[in-house]
Amino acid sequence: MSVVRMSNAGLLSLLCALALLAQEANHKSDPVFQVSTLRGVDFTLRNSPTSRKYLIETMPGGVALLDYNNDGLLDIFLVNAGHMRDPMTNPFSFDRHEPAYWNRLYRQNKDGSFTDVTEQAGLANAGDTNYGMGVAVGDYDNDGYPDIYVTNFGKNILYHNNGNGTFTDVTAKAGVAAGGWSVSAGFFDYDNDGQLDLFVTRYLDWTIEKSKTCGNEKPTYCPPGQFPAVANILYHSRGDGTFEDVSVPSGIAAKKGHGLGVAFADYDGDGYTDIFVANDVTEQFLFHNNGNGTFTETGLDSGAALTNDGKMLSGMGVAFQDYDNDGLPDLLVTELPHQPYVVYHNEGHGAFTAQELETGFGALSGKSSGWGIGLEDFDNDGWKDAFVVQGHVFDNVETYDSSLSYRELPLLALNHNGHFEKADVGSNVPVAGRGAAFGDLNNDGWMDVVATALGERPQIYLNRGGKSHWLVVTLRGTKSNRDGYGARVQINDQVRFATASGSYLSSNDKRLHFGLGSAERASVEIRWPSGIHQVLRAVKADQFIVLEESQQP
Amino acid sequence: MILSLLWACLLMQTPSPEPPVPSEALAQLQAGMDAEKQRDLDGAIADFRKATELAPSSSIAFLRLGNAYMNRRNYAEAIPPLKRAVELSPPSAPAHQLLGFALLARGYASEAIPHLDFVHEYGALGIAQLQNGEPVEAISNLQTALAKNPGDPDLLYYLSRAGTALSSQSLDKLLSVFPNTARGHQALAQNYYAMKMFAEAEKEYAQALALRPDLPGLRLELGQVHASESEWDKAEEQFRTETKLQPGNAEAAYRLGDALLQQGKMKEAADELKRSDSLHPDMPETLYALGRATGVSDPIVAEGALARAIELEKDSPLAGQAYLLLAGIHRKQGKTELAEKERQQFRRIQALSDLRSPAKP
Repeated sequence: MSVVRMSNAGLLSLLCALALLAQEANHKSDPVFQVSTLRGVDFTLRNSPTSRKYLIETMPGGVALLDYNNDGLLDIFLVNAGHMRDPMTNPFSFDRHEPAYWNRLYRQNKDGSFTDVTEQAGLANAGDTNYGMGVAVGDYDNDGYPDIYVTNFGKNILYHNNGNGTFTDVTAKAGVAAGGWSVSAGFFDYDNDGQLDLFVTRYLDWTIEKSKTCGNEKPTYCPPGQFPAVANILYHSRGDGTFEDVSVPSGIAAKKGHGLGVAFADYDGDGYTDIFVANDVTEQFLFHNNGNGTFTETGLDSGAALTNDGKMLSGMGVAFQDYDNDGLPDLLVTELPHQPYVVYHNEGHGAFTAQELETGFGALSGKSSGWGIGLEDFDNDGWKDAFVVQGHVFDNVETYDSSLSYRELPLLALNHNGHFEKADVGSNVPVAGRGAAFGDLNNDGWMDVVATALGERPQIYLNRGGKSHWLVVTLRGTKSNRDGYGARVQINDQVRFATASGSYLSSNDKRLHFGLGSAERASVEIRWPSGIHQVLRAVKADQFIVLEESQQP
Repeated sequence: MILSLLWACLLMQTPSPEPPVPSEALAQLQAGMDAEKQRDLDGAIADFRKATELAPSSSIAFLRLGNAYMNRRNYAEAIPPLKRAVELSPPSAPAHQLLGFALLARGYASEAIPHLDFVHEYGALGIAQLQNGEPVEAISNLQTALAKNPGDPDLLYYLSRAGTALSSQSLDKLLSVFPNTARGHQALAQNYYAMKMFAEAEKEYAQALALRPDLPGLRLELGQVHASESEWDKAEEQFRTETKLQPGNAEAAYRLGDALLQQGKMKEAADELKRSDSLHPDMPETLYALGRATGVSDPIVAEGALARAIELEKDSPLAGQAYLLLAGIHRKQGKTELAEKERQQFRRIQALSDLRSPAKP
């Protein structure tokens, strides 16, 4: 038997090499996020599932990340659903007056804990006849304080931020109650008049009385095709705190669908913000803004209506940002299992091509049902990654198809030069995920996620951070709307379209986050909705900056 | 259809030798036949019954009575006189034929078989054998009958059922006699797959593969289970192994190409799909997948493949999909008019498809 002897130096080198390898392996397998609980956040999304399978039960709920008191710390607003009786009896009440069913506003404290300020803020009772869905955030009156719009099955509510920690329900005065079944909503300025307008998606023509159960021996929720399609709503701001429903004259109401998600961006670079509506089992709608107060639905013509195979999507959530750093906003749409999540790549000249296979994104989603989605640079490498909250519509889906699950983990797909690869999301507890909002909760320069799940506490994904550089930009419009929604911001080779909308039912941190990779400085270029163009050179990385719209073009 | 044709022919045939029939009985028979001509079936039955009473040894009287009942579709009443006709004249083909039909109509398949066999009435015999649990014999006789009447929908229907019955019978035998063979596990796996019990199907395929790892087709099927679960990496692995076992199998090459395509491995997918197309040209699904795989990297190949798929498929949904894909390629190339025409074709076919399969309530 021969024995190989190694010198001490040789052994040391080997051990060092092994240690380095182990370190590298550990680094590679480190999840991006740490799943956390936030001290003081005790919300539970109570959707109250019943044996009657009322369709609304499986659709909530939204979450917003906003700084309602302008203290520089992100606060969290969570939309609750309501109490469903089994069966519901007339007169219908969702018992929203009971604290268990309140929407909740949590103010972030300086130590990172949160305080429930719902009641003192005047947001407690969302109305017994309203079953909660989603939330949109925007400073519609340009007073510097973000306002909150809550969508419901029932009547929607606009809460004006009084600037002193309280809100006032101004729905009646503003004229934005809508009615029926509203889902996602978003503020944007479609006519570039400096006043935020409001878009509301609506799902279908459904009431408790019209409810039915599908599935025969295994009762479950009926597909949307069982109920008539409805039109979405566009409210134009008059600039005096009131809105006008312009759905018909704008052309929005001409198209009926099963609207769920909504996102905004100027996809053809004509200076006017366009609208994408994720429709469930209907063609997706891409409303091109004609610049004269009207819209033309161009989904099919532009290639963003169907799958590559010409099939309908069960579109649910949507992100409308540039994933491949070509400067053009692309579309990522989540949907049901056995249909890959879709990537509509913006080819320029108003054309999109489905690229979910080429980008690898489709292959990551085969068995999953996706809802909230964000395109954010979670690893600050200069490429926007995708985060999708998942969970099937049916709470008994396993009895239909054993390969599917009602509760799922979220999907984190890291973007490597335009190709998506699945990464460890840091959680091993599946939930029935629905809404998701994206923002930098702890102001460390790394994007975090707050997601909602049916019957659960909110899921908090705190970014573990790293060494790459970053820059966060807050826009302050002067001629344009104060939030700067609709601005095109380019930092080095990356572009973001300023919006808090997208995802599903939810509203993101309005600050624009950019990962810079190894770059320590950045050039910043902004095209405001007003047409004003601003450029800043050699901006130092790793800071939060506020950019005010200049007065001169 | 078979019954009515044969019944029409039946009475034109002469029964086997008869004992002498009294003239009164003959008169009753004639009266009955006249009544039949006037479509007075009740009258005919009464006359024929009287004839059987007057000539109880006459097979033709009983045959006429049985036939009259058959014409009235009263098979239960037809059986006793027809049985008597056969007893009186065992070689009588018409009596056997009618009795065979009557028994079959009443569900007495096993009793009907010897009578139908006697007269070589292959179609009805096959049906009786199928109902009697003899699918092998049924298939043989139904095929013989179909050779004479190729467009007979009844025969085609029963042949299809006989095939299913044979398949089921063979499967039952396989599972009961040889449960721990590769084929036994494969058969079980197929059942689970059909019921969407994918995990169970995978287990059975794994057991089959453990016993016969080189059995052709096993990995192709297992790959399809993975594909149904959208587990494309696992599907690729199985399809790839199948293509090594069966390099000449175009379907295996297509499935591998599709699994690669679903994972965004466009170049590899295109290579495999081209290989599949060379093994079995003009498979529309292969051409369409090739169009998808090359749409970005090699639009000329994509256009050729999609155009050929459209040529083959005409107005099918696949042709519609190919038009839409072409529209995307041409829109990207700035050929907007052409793209618009292709979108219109897609819309046209989509409308046709909607007509073909109206929305479920």
